[in-house]
Amino acid sequence: MSTCPGCALLCDDIEVVVESGRIKETRNACRRGAARIKGCINRLAPTIDQKPSDIESAIKKAAGILKDSKSPMLFGFSNSTCEAQVKGIQLAKKLGAMIDDTSSFCQGLLIEKILQKKFRTCTLEDVRNKADVLVYWGSDAQDSQPRHLSRFSYFPRGESRQRGYEEDRIAIAIDVRESNTAKICKGHFYRIQPKGDREFILALIDALSGKVPAYEPKKILELAAILKKAEFGVIFVGIGLTYSIKEDFDILVSLADKLPNFQIMPMVGHYNMRGFNENLFKETGFVNRVRFHDTAVHDDKYSIIEALREKSIDALLVAGSDPLSSLTRSLIRHLASIPVICIDPCVTMTSKIAAVTIPCAVSGVESGGTAVRMDGKKIGLSKIIESDYLTDEELLVRLMGAL
Amino acid sequence: MGIDVGKFLKNPEYEIKITTFRDIFQVEAQERDRFGKDYEKLSACIVMSKNDMEKMGLKPGDRVKVANNNGSIVVEVRESKRDEPGGVAFMVNSPWSNVLVSDDTGGKGLPDFKNITAKISLVKEEITSLESLMEYFRKLKQV
Amino acid sequence: MVTVLEIYQLLPKTNCKICGESTCMAFSVSLLGRKRKISECTPILEVNFKKQKEKLEALLLPSAGAEETGMIVHPELCTGCGNCVVACPVDVANDPKGAAIGCAPTNDKVIFRVVDGKVVASNIKECRRFGKNRVLCYACIDPCPTGAIEFV
Repeated sequence: MSTCPGCALLCDDIEVVVESGRIKETRNACRRGAARIKGCINRLAPTIDQKPSDIESAIKKAAGILKDSKSPMLFGFSNSTCEAQVKGIQLAKKLGAMIDDTSSFCQGLLIEKILQKKFRTCTLEDVRNKADVLVYWGSDAQDSQPRHLSRFSYFPRGESRQRGYEEDRIAIAIDVRESNTAKICKGHFYRIQPKGDREFILALIDALSGKVPAYEPKKILELAAILKKAEFGVIFVGIGLTYSIKEDFDILVSLADKLPNFQIMPMVGHYNMRGFNENLFKETGFVNRVRFHDTAVHDDKYSIIEALREKSIDALLVAGSDPLSSLTRSLIRHLASIPVICIDPCVTMTSKIAAVTIPCAVSGVESGGTAVRMDGKKIGLSKIIESDYLTDEELLVRLMGAL
Repeated sequence: MGIDVGKFLKNPEYEIKITTFRDIFQVEAQERDRFGKDYEKLSACIVMSKNDMEKMGLKPGDRVKVANNNGSIVVEVRESKRDEPGGVAFMVNSPWSNVLVSDDTGGKGLPDFKNITAKISLVKEEITSLESLMEYFRKLKQV
Repeated sequence: MVTVLEIYQLLPKTNCKICGESTCMAFSVSLLGRKRKISECTPILEVNFKKQKEKLEALLLPSAGAEETGMIVHPELCTGCGNCVVACPVDVANDPKGAAIGCAPTNDKVIFRVVDGKVVASNIKECRRFGKNRVLCYACIDPCPTGAIEFV
């Protein structure tokens, strides 16, 4: 059995058929996972200034860039093993650099609150065994964590949920779009307007407090009645909800306080984003957006978004991420003007403009290690096939050595 | 030779709200080859309700320019398979949708990726390719 | 999809009862439901019905790609989420320690498995839509948001 590094569900029941060192077939992995395991067609090669090079020279050049930089940032890490993340944090410390990861513009807000124990939370095994009311809020698990409903939440039989989903569980979707997940929650789909989550939460808090909500009272009261009856409820918070209430995230804490039988679970995309958050939290007490001076300082201005907007960094090391693809165009202007070091298994948009590119193994396929599932459980990754590529962990160690 | 009046008439523009979503088929295409045709096809599109398409005179497969202060792209119109009330259009999260996202974060480090307002109009231009997005970034680099 | 009337039009329409049904119409219903075989209508096996028999056989051939239960899997629509694997009551009964609790199937008796990110159906004869006591089960269709499984 192997672990799938396709998303933060980290399904560890995958069978992979390997024939003469190559992956022939995957079993049990979803479409997303199978694609990750089978890999990309354009592997990255070592380059300096977009010209072919070798690993040693590329590492040397990268070390030079970082040494010359007055204000470097290390970014990415959500597709890296915990072991590589720890090395990345060490490197940032050594350089006095900023370090941030994709959670900074994804689920960081939520995971921070979970690690600070502002929410009750549980494991996915708890969900399978106990949960009777499931709320997918701003989350389309079917497309982002495709086996979430089948492995843990809705469809499986669990210890206290022996009769299956038809009788023992209710799945609810609250979303702007009738997603594939919402389609499964038929009869319990609540459509909201973009940025309408706050209004919906406030109405729900009213309904749970015995007041008549100002907004869609009939639907909200009906939903509140279902939530009140739950023995073990879970709200799966997707980035739809996180983005929408980012200005006043504490209203979700207020809602959770009104729902004593409910747990909050972050829906995480990248397979080890939560791992980065936990590793940095352990080291500094913060989940992202940190700058190391004598101590670790956390500030929004150390987020990749603000650092690029304020042009406060003069070099960027990217590990296992593609900011050129995932950031807004206006922010990329500064990114294009500074030297970028790109460590990735595949050619990315970012690697195409990087000053230095260093190929690495696909973690969880060509190298093992550990990662943290969306619920906080540590899961072992598998080395499914051999490869000549160095892991990102090894590359970061070498880079540190070259400094 | 008559004057081609159509040349001077601009197609009507409509204001539209856009939210982004994730599509497993697009993610699969990205995993395999983010510079491939499949990824482009599954990313460079906007999904709209039948209502909105009728209101704006758009048909599935039409090419539209979607533009705001942050940038402009040409993508293909798809009709939503669901019974949507309209008022909101959907784009898969991608480098295309990111062209339209504002970087106005109030200093909080988190842009409104899922809350986009833009103008949409029918055009004859080619769909914005990933290569043309890359070209834009490469030019930035040379400046 | 084939209709009862289409089948009836090709039968001898003599209501001879040899097949065990009271009328040719009733036999058509049974043929469509695959409860009976064409060969149970002995009159149609005779030479003068040869053309009708051939047409009938063609009509009753499972649709292209369809299994004997009429199940068609559209791999291009499938996301490999495995909802059908876990929701199928046959899979639950045949694999209580695997598919039933959301894990990977632990034996070969299950109907649904996910291979290369797409669902594959096997052991079709175990499907509740097959055999003598069949029921019109929707357990694999309902949990599929993309319409990747259908019965024809």
